[in-house]
Amino acid sequence: MAILELAGVSAGYGPVRVLHDVNLSVNPGERLGLVGLNGHGKTTLLSAIVGLTGWQDGSIIFEGRQIGGRRTHGMGRTTPNIVRQGIALAPQGDAIFPGLTVRENLDSGAYTRATWRSRRSRCDHVLDVFAPLRPLLRQTAGTLSGGERRMVSVGRALMADARLYLVDEPSLGLAPKISLGLVAALCEINIGDGAMIIAEQNLPLLNGRVDRVLGMHAGELKQDVGEALGDIPPAAEAMAQGMHHGRAL
Amino acid sequence: MSKQPLIGRRSWRPSWPVNTEKVFKRRRYLGTKRSVLRLSGSYNPKTLRRELVLTDKKPTFWLIGLLLMLVLPIAVSNERFFALFGIICIYAAINVMWTLIIGTAGLQSFATLATVGVGAYGAAYLSITYGVPWPLMLIIGLFLGALMGFLISLPARRLDGLYYALLTLGLSEFCRNFVTQSDQLGGKFNGALFGVDRIVPSDLMTSWLGQVLLYISAFALLLVALAVFRWVNGGRLGLLLRASATNREDEAFSSAIGINFQRARTWVFMIASAALGAIGAFYAAYIGGTSLQVFSLDLLLLMLAMIVIGGLGRAEGAVIGTIIVVGITQWFTEWGPWRIVLVGVLALLSVLYTRNGIFGLKAQLKEIRQRRQALHRAGLTSRYAEFLPQQAPDIHDKAMIVGRTFERKLRDRLRGWITPVIIEEHRRKPLGQHSDHLERILNYFRQGPIPDKYAVYCEEPFTSYRVVALSGVPGVPPRVVDDKVYPSLDEAYHAVFLRRVNDLRSS
Amino acid sequence: MDVVFSALLLASMYGLVAIGISFTWASIGMLNLAQGFIFTAGGYTAFLFAEIASTYGLEGVALSVGLIVAGMLGSAVAGLAVGAVAFLPLQDRDNFRTRSLIATLAISLIGTQVWLIFFGPQNKPLPPIFGTGRTEIAGSGIGNGQLGAIVVAVLMLGAVILWMRSSRAGLQMRAMMMNPLGAAVVGVSVRTTGMRVLAISGALTGLASVLLAQTFFVSPTSGVQPLTVGLIISLAGGLGSIPGTVAAAGLLGLAEALTARYLQQSLVPFVLFGIVVLILIFRPRGLGGLLEDVRE
Repeated sequence: MAILELAGVSAGYGPVRVLHDVNLSVNPGERLGLVGLNGHGKTTLLSAIVGLTGWQDGSIIFEGRQIGGRRTHGMGRTTPNIVRQGIALAPQGDAIFPGLTVRENLDSGAYTRATWRSRRSRCDHVLDVFAPLRPLLRQTAGTLSGGERRMVSVGRALMADARLYLVDEPSLGLAPKISLGLVAALCEINIGDGAMIIAEQNLPLLNGRVDRVLGMHAGELKQDVGEALGDIPPAAEAMAQGMHHGRAL
Repeated sequence: MSKQPLIGRRSWRPSWPVNTEKVFKRRRYLGTKRSVLRLSGSYNPKTLRRELVLTDKKPTFWLIGLLLMLVLPIAVSNERFFALFGIICIYAAINVMWTLIIGTAGLQSFATLATVGVGAYGAAYLSITYGVPWPLMLIIGLFLGALMGFLISLPARRLDGLYYALLTLGLSEFCRNFVTQSDQLGGKFNGALFGVDRIVPSDLMTSWLGQVLLYISAFALLLVALAVFRWVNGGRLGLLLRASATNREDEAFSSAIGINFQRARTWVFMIASAALGAIGAFYAAYIGGTSLQVFSLDLLLLMLAMIVIGGLGRAEGAVIGTIIVVGITQWFTEWGPWRIVLVGVLALLSVLYTRNGIFGLKAQLKEIRQRRQALHRAGLTSRYAEFLPQQAPDIHDKAMIVGRTFERKLRDRLRGWITPVIIEEHRRKPLGQHSDHLERILNYFRQGPIPDKYAVYCEEPFTSYRVVALSGVPGVPPRVVDDKVYPSLDEAYHAVFLRRVNDLRSS
Repeated sequence: MDVVFSALLLASMYGLVAIGISFTWASIGMLNLAQGFIFTAGGYTAFLFAEIASTYGLEGVALSVGLIVAGMLGSAVAGLAVGAVAFLPLQDRDNFRTRSLIATLAISLIGTQVWLIFFGPQNKPLPPIFGTGRTEIAGSGIGNGQLGAIVVAVLMLGAVILWMRSSRAGLQMRAMMMNPLGAAVVGVSVRTTGMRVLAISGALTGLASVLLAQTFFVSPTSGVQPLTVGLIISLAGGLGSIPGTVAAAGLLGLAEALTARYLQQSLVPFVLFGIVVLILIFRPRGLGGLLEDVRE
């Protein structure tokens, strides 16, 4: 049985409709890459799964439970309930807590009552993955660099006892080397029979690391990734190529 | 004037046919360029006649409303009515000035009644001790108010909106404390002052004439307040502030283009505060004294309720809200505390369910309607049209959207009709009478746009034909599509047909 | 020494109310100006409790504890009521801050009248909680009531601050202060947490209400003065900063005690207001901003 099943999901903000009848199913143990250009609905898709869009419609079934449906009220009212059922999101733009220390930030990821007790051991696991955070544990998160913040944000998502991890644009705004390390670390985490969706603009970063790559174009899912990235401007493509070579070397 | 939508309901505005022979002359206020009524010429597409449209109905409503307010109490000539409407006028004047501070200057200040109270107490005290006559009291109030305004506006430069609101909310309470504890002001009668010079001499007070005069003076106060509001809000200061009003980014932007919004804000605040001080002095002269009631938190909250119920930031909202609230509190005195509860509930309802009080309702309903339409349209376009709703907002012409939707539907239907049978039918007989479906498909092909339309080019009659595509530009020759040569005209026709079918299928 | 006690009393009372306001603002972005209503709600609940207790002949420690608990419960319920009206319906609508501010003001307008209808305009006394004797400390006497009030208030404040720093619920509230989106993503519900915050700050206010009723009385408008001073203090302390608020409460309490003792009671409002304006002119974010700067 699929761990996540989206059927006819549409979502948007105010009068703007960003997603158009998206159908998607994610299998247990699968790492799914979601590729597409800016503004084509990757973030909105991830937000719609956890109920963070302005309005949405359609069925979202997570582990046999309906978590979607028609929602018209503002953002985020149902998010905490959905998240507590076992979905962890590392949102775009980090959304970390700038006044708390790194440790407190990570702890907050294990917020649900069941996981709160085991937060120390979970924290150790996360620190094994993101070793650079270890010396920074007592530092205030607001003073971290961009890459470290992203690690905290992703690490916070990993702290949760989740069956489905959603990671939004792990490479956005980071230096190529750092983003490469981050994505590589993400793809090596043991997710058991859970699943992970990584939304990413940069196809070469995902190639060969994830089990399946889907394209996202104009609010619709495309099986063919080339179609989603078909109208990549030359410069961006060249950059992506460069990255590719960088890795090969 | 905004562009009329091509499809849909025309917005209703009062209009009347004009004599097109005569030239329409615009009447203007003396010495200004403002026209008396904002009329504009328009063309009625239904009656096919020119007509004159009243684009701005507000001045008419204001005129009717104010005339009613002036005439009603005098016509009824009831003592209670005079008192009620007098208080309404004074409170409305205060609220209009407050609107100037909150709406125009964008300062969330609760120091209104404190300013009024300072004007009232200062003027009353001077009048009692030195026998200052009431016109002089107004001027004293004006200066006290301006001074107060200057002092209060000092922290506004440094503080964020809500911080400022909190700071000024405490001010009334502190003024009340000061009056109670100071010996000159609060020693006698629990803070109340009596024996101030009155606007209408006391021997006239009980007569009809005296009451009318008193009421007219209050009404004149409201008129002056409205005029000040119009002058500041509609003038240069209002314009400067509107350019920088809403948020920090706008403020930064307006400073970048050279608007000193802080100074404009201080000016508006001081003008409004001076007016508030004068209103306080007027109030002292109107009832012949003052009391600590001015500084009470409950009165401040009532005033806020008036503004909120009417609609924040608009003069008409302030006046209507005042009429409603003061009407309830002064007329139904036998209800006791329940009437204040009613006002509170009204204020709560208007905060919870309306965006901006009574006068915001119209815009709110319109927006709800528009949102519903937009969602509906977004649903339609995503199903039928070939463009995304994110790209659709730049198409203002609704006919274009409808046209595209129609095209899309038509293509979908025709595509379903194309079968090998139809193609075979066309191959056998490209010209002449066809079955219904083929005929419709051909009609659709024929009406396509000229650029890139396929055509048959005759190299040599009866032996060699080619398929070309028209350029669509006069003087530019058609381009040859491929190097295939067809021996007969019918075969060439069928080749064109196949190409179009292909295009239709891939579109 | 008198001055110190009087300053401490004022500071602890002000601190209780101000922290409630500051805390609510920081975690859910709502300025709770119905705090005066919540204050009187606590006072009247304690008064009702005292009436009932006297018919059953309750006395001594049981009565004292009962009074305090009743006051805190009453205020917490009032806080929840304010939340149900002004927070839950408005929470995810645009312009929440201004609208909730107006809504809480409307509630406080209604609240005063409701007390007036049910309890009348007279002042209601509460029985003394800490007895009526005097205690000698460091050569000067202080009424038991005042001493008890100081001790209870400081203990309660300390407990709340400690709880905020260390527990899971405290972490959740602080997280919500910093980033509501992030809090939603880790599973913190803004609505439940918001109501919890309102209940807690209400309970603190109720405590202040019961303790202050030892020296003043309960009346429909008795919430105005604490509300105003609480506002001013939370403002001077920097809204949302707990150490800042405590510092500001101490500073203003001391200033008020000194002014009343050495200058004149009528000057108190001006001194307080002047100090706050001065603080805000030099530190637009209040004392909390100052402390944060020092830490960095």
